[in-house]
Amino acid sequence: MSYYNNSGGYNNPAYHDSDTLQIDRSPPRKSQHGNPHGNPYPREDGAVLRERSDLHQLPGGGQTISDDAQGRVPWGGLQEESWRGEDCLPVGLLPPQSESPQWQHDFSHSGYQVDQKAHYDTTPLVRLPSTTSGHVSMRFRGSRKMSLFPVGEAALCNLGLSEDDVKNEMDNEEENLIKELVAMSTRDRIKAIRDLPMTFADKKHIRGQVLVFKSFKKSQKWNCFADCSKTVTLSFRRCGANMTLAGQTLELWRGTMKEVGGKFGTGVLSYFKFLKWLLMFNIFSFLVNFGFITIPQLVSDPVISAEVNFKGLELLTGAGYFNQTVLYYGGYSNESQGTENKPEYNMQLAYFFTIAAYMLLCGAALIYSMARSFRKRFVLDDKASGGAWQLLCTWDFNVTNERAVRQRKNNLSIQLKESLSDNIRLALLPLSDRLKHYAVFLGTWLLSTAVAVGCGAAIYFLCQYEKEAVNKSSGSLVDEASTLLLPFVVSLVNLVVPLFYSLFRKIEVYSNPRMQVYVIILRNVILKMSILGILCYYWVTDVAEQFPCWEAVVGQGLYRLVVMDFLFLMLGSFFGEFLSNVIGTNCIQSLGVPEFDIARNVLDLIYAQTLAWIGIYFSPLLPVIQIIKFFVLFYLKKVSLTRNCQPPRRAGRAAQMQTIFIAILFFPSFVGAVSLLAYTVWTIPPSESCGPFRGLNTTFSAVHIWIHDLEDVNSARWTVWVFQHVIQSEIFYFLITLIIIVFIYIFWQITQGRKQLIALLRQQIVNEGKDKAFLLEKLQDLQKSKHSKPKPKKETGNRPENESSPGLLQALLARQQMEEEEGRSSTFGVSMPSDRSTSTTSSTMVHAMLLRQQADSQAGSYRGVPFPAEYPALSPTSALIQAMQARQMAESEDEHHRTPVPSQNPVNALPSTMIQVMQARQRAQLELDQDEPYRAPDSYDDPILPTSNAMMQVMQARQRAEEEEESYRTPVSPWLAQQQLQDKYNDRY
Amino acid sequence: MFSVFFLSLLCVIQENPFKNRIVESFSEDGAGNLSFNDFVDMFSVLSEMAPRELKAIYAFKIYDFNVDNFLCKEDLEKTLNKLTREELSPEEVTLVCEKAIEEADLDGDNKLSFADFENMITRAPDFLSTFHIRI
Repeated sequence: MSYYNNSGGYNNPAYHDSDTLQIDRSPPRKSQHGNPHGNPYPREDGAVLRERSDLHQLPGGGQTISDDAQGRVPWGGLQEESWRGEDCLPVGLLPPQSESPQWQHDFSHSGYQVDQKAHYDTTPLVRLPSTTSGHVSMRFRGSRKMSLFPVGEAALCNLGLSEDDVKNEMDNEEENLIKELVAMSTRDRIKAIRDLPMTFADKKHIRGQVLVFKSFKKSQKWNCFADCSKTVTLSFRRCGANMTLAGQTLELWRGTMKEVGGKFGTGVLSYFKFLKWLLMFNIFSFLVNFGFITIPQLVSDPVISAEVNFKGLELLTGAGYFNQTVLYYGGYSNESQGTENKPEYNMQLAYFFTIAAYMLLCGAALIYSMARSFRKRFVLDDKASGGAWQLLCTWDFNVTNERAVRQRKNNLSIQLKESLSDNIRLALLPLSDRLKHYAVFLGTWLLSTAVAVGCGAAIYFLCQYEKEAVNKSSGSLVDEASTLLLPFVVSLVNLVVPLFYSLFRKIEVYSNPRMQVYVIILRNVILKMSILGILCYYWVTDVAEQFPCWEAVVGQGLYRLVVMDFLFLMLGSFFGEFLSNVIGTNCIQSLGVPEFDIARNVLDLIYAQTLAWIGIYFSPLLPVIQIIKFFVLFYLKKVSLTRNCQPPRRAGRAAQMQTIFIAILFFPSFVGAVSLLAYTVWTIPPSESCGPFRGLNTTFSAVHIWIHDLEDVNSARWTVWVFQHVIQSEIFYFLITLIIIVFIYIFWQITQGRKQLIALLRQQIVNEGKDKAFLLEKLQDLQKSKHSKPKPKKETGNRPENESSPGLLQALLARQQMEEEEGRSSTFGVSMPSDRSTSTTSSTMVHAMLLRQQADSQAGSYRGVPFPAEYPALSPTSALIQAMQARQMAESEDEHHRTPVPSQNPVNALPSTMIQVMQARQRAQLELDQDEPYRAPDSYDDPILPTSNAMMQVMQARQRAEEEEESYRTPVSPWLAQQQLQDKYNDRY
Repeated sequence: MFSVFFLSLLCVIQENPFKNRIVESFSEDGAGNLSFNDFVDMFSVLSEMAPRELKAIYAFKIYDFNVDNFLCKEDLEKTLNKLTREELSPEEVTLVCEKAIEEADLDGDNKLSFADFENMITRAPDFLSTFHIRI
């Protein structure tokens, strides 16, 4: 059993602990536990038995043998030999007499004591070669010794191991652990200790030990310098920790976040976290832009002639007065600042590089958080979305509010009821209904796409209209206000169409609620992206050609969009949430309090951030607006949430949703913004009359000019070289692309391989679980039989002589041996007292089977024999069948290619193994007849008829064992189940 | 310091349906009497920094009502009743629990061992953020 850990990297200590503990906690065994090598069969008699108990008393006798047997079994191809060595079913000659008691002894130990012992003894084995980082193995080892499963620990002590043994083992482990810890660097060690799955006191103890060990080691080469450096490091570390603590305390909105999390759970909290994250992006963007672009501009050229007076409407339209300020691209000059004395500040380069650097950093941050989020939270195989997950993983320990707790409980019970009814409904779905569903999907998808395209077209025509209006405008307030039409329509579309989409929910039927959320998100993203795409197209084609200072016009457009979007978000939370709350609570009760729709809200944020990214080139100070917007939005949403909303009814998988949101923020949003900017910078000629890049062919030519200038400077040669040979060369990009593609392919292959590995490992877990269940059953059965009255029985060996086939001979030898053992080890009484001989045989057989099983399970590949369900009614037939099965299994590896046995049996067509079984059956029957003539129901002349039933069973079992290795389920007889229950009951009380 | 912790604990787990189980599983004697060390343990496990393994161990202990190192049907039924204010009918409770066990039980012993539980948790990435108490 202890080799489960070795099976391909699934090292799980507690699994291990728990499965052994379950068997070993029955109180009656305690008496034996006191003496680990004591005789577990106190009521034996007869010379042979005494001999056996002598063997028991040998110091370490059977124990060591069995330990060896288990210890010898490494992971790989050796197991067959070793189980043969351990098993008592020999191939070939009869074993020496002394071997069977040993085996018996072994077995009893491996059930009760050796298992535990081996569990500890094999500590070095348990360390996988793959766990190269000491950290993992250390945690693993720590977890085995830990006291987090206290019952288990107590049970360990109750087992055959004396307290000293356990203590020694634990000390050993601890020592190793400490050694590993000492070898680490300070930072690693602190982290490792923190991550140890132990209690606080244990951690403290370990840490103390490590420190003592370390200081002892160090004291040999102690000097002043080391001491000083140690003190300095320590103080630095403390300082760092304090800083972290202070940072946590000063964290923005910490209390509010906690409150939201407490009332609405993690899902809603993730919206606020996202909001805060975006706010950080914008604050950074503002700082960079303000610092590197705006301040130099203001310093060199403080006042742009304010010809237009501030009217107030500019706050909405962004035109007029703002047009003259540094808010827009147009407000920046193209001159290089600085006099002859001071170094120059090239505005063009500053503008270009600041924005490029910001975008690069944003991209890096996005990719980093996206990848991390994917790695941590997006799980490949994700089937556990049903009951177990709902039951055990959904409860949000964050929630502290009484009302919220009540609501959550309600939601959960509704959800569970729904899922129960869903299961029934979906299972019974006929084909016509399914077709109907597909038709509905098709219809809704067509409709939603059509709506998105229609919105895009409408907005394009509106843009054309606006262009003409701007051309004809006379500068009056009305004309200025008319520019608000376009952003108004865009925001209205953004508000209304998602609501329309959410109506589809009523007619679409999804088996999986998450699928529904994904579809809604996808539709909304398509809508928003088509709108933004149309707008960008309009800006880079029409606007760029027509207006003299077109960048500023685009900047104004973006400003208007951002502001309008802000207003609509506020209106949305007012009308969408407040009003529906009022209606839901006062007028129409059935509507109820509105839910907080995380998906819709997050998509709004993503849209807003896309606008800000697009606008950063055209209006460097747009992040200011964005910061204000997000700041206000945070409080607005918080108030609206606490006043109007209830937590979302479906506990969605918040973490996965978060990953998806980050992905959306990256892929259409950020990538779209970057490509638009890149297009603008590389191809569109900047306006002639305004902005830092006036007079250049493209924005990027500023860099060309700079490089050209640098060619004269000797110290900057490498920059020029890099520019010419890397940035400008096609071959570089070609190579880079090639390499990246190759890497992607390799990693993709690795992923595929890992997926296969995961599947294999899962399968292995399942198989081993089955092994475990089977063994547990047998073992419990055995315990039962051991406790009942022992029945001495005379040896019944009566060996038939004239065997020609080696297979048959072996079968008979095995049978013979069984019976001999039965004579000696008849300590086992079974619940059927009427036929003692066979019942004892059967228990011997069970032993054989168990040993076999154990060997098999160590080998990892399951070849177990399913016990027929009639097993508890231990009739002679079933006992024999089991004997034969065991025999068959023992032989199955090397007996496959034997020739069929020449026999007088009429059923020649059967495979040779079957024939062997039959013949063995005959022989056994014969023996039985000789042994107990009065019971013999069948005569030797007609062997087929009475054995046919047994034959069938043997064949079935055999076939099952051979063919259904994977899908095999242990048949649990009701009797055994009852036994098990009773056992458990005994254990507990 | 201790009293601050204690007060925050009171606020934080007062409404938790598993509050008794939480306190019991973190106490050394299993009866809900917390020493200071147990207290520290509790907050460290329920903090954001705690590794998944540790969280899983304690979550398992919390759900294991009868302390037999397995989540059996009985445990799940108790969990469910705590989570739903006992609104489900007994048949529904049984059905849900059976379904849950069937889904998560890998080794076919009709109860969830720690391995099963951990496996389930690795597939539920939310668990790390939900098994977490903010002070």
